[in-house]
Amino acid sequence: MGLLKDFKYYTPATLKEALGLLKNARYPLVLGGGTLSLNHLKKAAKYPSDVVGLKKVSVLRGIKDLKGAVAIGTMTTIAEICASGIIRKNFPSLVEACSKSATTPIRNMATIGGNVASRFFWVDLPAVLISLGAKVSIATAGRQRVVSIQEFLGSKPPKKFILTKVVIPKSDCLSFYFRHTKTMVVDVPSLALAFFASLKKGKLSGVVLVVNTTVSFPVKLKEVAAAMEDRHPKEVSLKSVTQALNKDVEKLRLDEYRVGCLATDLESLLGIFSAVI
Amino acid sequence: MKNIKVKINNKTHDLAVRDSELLIETLRDRLGLLGTKYSCLEGDCGVCTVLLDGKNCLSCLILSADADGHEVVTIEGIAQKGGLHSLQESFVKNGAIQCGFCTPGMILAAKALLDGNPSPTDEEIAGGLDGNLCRCTGYIKIIDAVREASQRLKDGK
Repeated sequence: MGLLKDFKYYTPATLKEALGLLKNARYPLVLGGGTLSLNHLKKAAKYPSDVVGLKKVSVLRGIKDLKGAVAIGTMTTIAEICASGIIRKNFPSLVEACSKSATTPIRNMATIGGNVASRFFWVDLPAVLISLGAKVSIATAGRQRVVSIQEFLGSKPPKKFILTKVVIPKSDCLSFYFRHTKTMVVDVPSLALAFFASLKKGKLSGVVLVVNTTVSFPVKLKEVAAAMEDRHPKEVSLKSVTQALNKDVEKLRLDEYRVGCLATDLESLLGIFSAVI
Repeated sequence: MKNIKVKINNKTHDLAVRDSELLIETLRDRLGLLGTKYSCLEGDCGVCTVLLDGKNCLSCLILSADADGHEVVTIEGIAQKGGLHSLQESFVKNGAIQCGFCTPGMILAAKALLDGNPSPTDEEIAGGLDGNLCRCTGYIKIIDAVREASQRLKDGK
């Protein structure tokens, strides 16, 4: 026996084949980039009988510029998203999150699908995808449905599913991503904040702030968003935002360090507003 | 078992590997390519770095079956015409090696960086090596070595 216990590994070439293998397997595991799952397997008490790898399913790869949206195949790597001209043009906060996520070799291997499907609290992409209003397509044998990333993470996952694509609506938006880490060695965030808003007649509209606390799934800062909504960016005061943040964090039960990080991020955001907009 | 065909250091290998076999096991235990090191086996340290289709990847997190049809380069494969690669020469010249355990991974990560960006800034060099840990050098000499290698490669040396 080697570093991993034995399992049967399948490398289907089509989504249909992959879903069929999943349906028939007793206790399967779907393998994307492998950076989370293979690590998990090295220590897992409960072990899969069958592993279905998706690297040869070409339909799950690539980034498509659709009318009004961008579709990212779930086997697209973090590095590919980072380098994509379409993503750079439309979603700067996603580029920021991807470029800060983990390390270069991990970004070359890890996929957006794995980042979402793994349901780990500390990964970077779910918070920013929620802020951008992204939806994910979930395929099971005989059924395909589309749900928001927030809904996917907030509900019990379906059995034997494959995420096929992430679709992000395009809009003329402002989007930023702020990230804090305590250490550079195991580079996961200790807190991150994703911001999204449109500008309508010079005022902030549809403001969404999503915080990745790394101890729960990402949550929206509704009070802070309300304090910014329908205001000219330069008119948003630090005082009103800080008061709103205090209301939001009461519900989140964050420690002092994380609250401090959030306050710093919001101050930086207002600084960007006054410098750029 | 899985039958795979993989090009490793410019030589095509037909191999039968276990379904759950990791690429690092195939490289070291089947092929004797010992420059690829075992260490954390969690993707944190970078000593198992190989180039997979030109990109630096971690062989402790890749199933060998997934290397089927791809090209792998290990540290044994980058020396040119019997001599050292410019990166290897620069590492020696700059004292960027102490215990040497991280060196194969560092050199391969640096090669991937320079192949995509022949003139990196010091910040870009540090970013390109962010997946590789060194407990001896403090990184300064390593960055010096990559900067010098970048110049040597541009000069055709």
